[in-house]
Amino acid sequence: MAVKFDIQNLNAWFGSKHVLKNINMKIEENAVTAIIGPSGCGKTTFIRCLNRMHEITPGSRVSGKVIFNGVNIYDNGVDPVMVRRKIGMVFQKPNPFPMMSVYDNVAIGLKLNGVRDKKTLDAAVRRSLELANLWDEVKDDLKKSGASLSGGQQQRLCIARALAVEPEVLLMDEPCSALDPIATAKIEALIRELAKNYTIVIVTHNMQQAARVSDYTAFLYLGELIEYGATKQIFENPKHELTEKYLTGKFG
Amino acid sequence: MSRIIDKDLKELSATLYRMGELAHRAVLEALIECIEGKEAHEEVREIADTLVAMADHVEDKAFELIARFQPVASDLRTIKSYMKIAYDFARFGRYALDISSINKQIGGLRGCEEWINSYVKRMSEKTLEMVRSSIESLKSHNTQIAEKISEREKEVDKMYFEFIDDLIKCGATIKCAVSSVLIIRYLERIADHAAYICESIIYIATGRKEVLR
Repeated sequence: MAVKFDIQNLNAWFGSKHVLKNINMKIEENAVTAIIGPSGCGKTTFIRCLNRMHEITPGSRVSGKVIFNGVNIYDNGVDPVMVRRKIGMVFQKPNPFPMMSVYDNVAIGLKLNGVRDKKTLDAAVRRSLELANLWDEVKDDLKKSGASLSGGQQQRLCIARALAVEPEVLLMDEPCSALDPIATAKIEALIRELAKNYTIVIVTHNMQQAARVSDYTAFLYLGELIEYGATKQIFENPKHELTEKYLTGKFG
Repeated sequence: MSRIIDKDLKELSATLYRMGELAHRAVLEALIECIEGKEAHEEVREIADTLVAMADHVEDKAFELIARFQPVASDLRTIKSYMKIAYDFARFGRYALDISSINKQIGGLRGCEEWINSYVKRMSEKTLEMVRSSIESLKSHNTQIAEKISEREKEVDKMYFEFIDDLIKCGATIKCAVSSVLIIRYLERIADHAAYICESIIYIATGRKEVLR
């Protein structure tokens, strides 16, 4: 297994609230890792710690190491902006910039990074939209507003936007929770396709979605990593009683 | 609070338990028929057909539960194993019918040497005990009962091969030799399926895929 993230003794707080407790795990490169667990268990906080987004929230704090490509992203001197460029994020609710065109929504990351050459931008926009399986649906009208697309298209636009800056990792925070089953199926197929070249960590409340799309599954409960393993093993034969209870709906 | 799926799983379990009781009765009736000559072929056939229909029902229900609930973990293992166990019980019925047919077609063990009849009886008792154990382990998902079947399965296997050796040496009539060999062959297969059921129970309870044969 090629390790993309080596997470060591990761702890996170919101003020005095200890939301992640001593997490240790390795995340495989070019694979899909699903994070599951009940509401409030720390799933979203966990992935936000993987690209230093947690620290944006006032009063938040992190300890421990997140070693990405051999470097601890929390070391002094590591630029969080660079970290977030390599480790992109897709959010629960599709959030294209409503006043921007489809084209600009995808190009914005590159433009902010100083790319001005139109040919380079055109190529990157096309490549990203193709990767996100959206190109064929929008290629004839790239100038229309991103907000005019359907919910599923908007989410794929956000994925294209994240891909445009050529990240190595995509963090996805419940990317399908606002989508209908058809749009969800498209995103799930896209996730599998992208996993050939990207490392994907997805938070989901939908356990069947975790079972469908992921190679590995981690179960978090009250901020602790209870069980982590191959998705087949977790869903067929969980080792920990809490995992079994959560998966079968016998919780609480 | 019980889950929606619990009611269906309970119903499936009750169906399997009824199948176990029917399967036990079919094997018992068929053996009595062959050993004592008591006519039971139609009854055994009826039970065997019922067991096949019940196994089909279990499979259909299991598919429905998979489609409706997308079960995982112990629920998934239970449903998968229940389908296998239903098939095992249907096989008991089929072998019972085969044993019963030996009586119908070639007269069973009537008039055969005493040692042959008593050997078949002993092997029948052992096999029926295994059938009973498999039903009991299913009833309570009891892995201890399930694990104990391994030893008896080996005894039945040993008896099967010893009997064939003895039969060759003793020069029994063709009718008795054919009848008894077929009967003990079916008993040996029934014992295997009783062990399969116990393997399924261990899988449901622990996730371990044990081989008890």
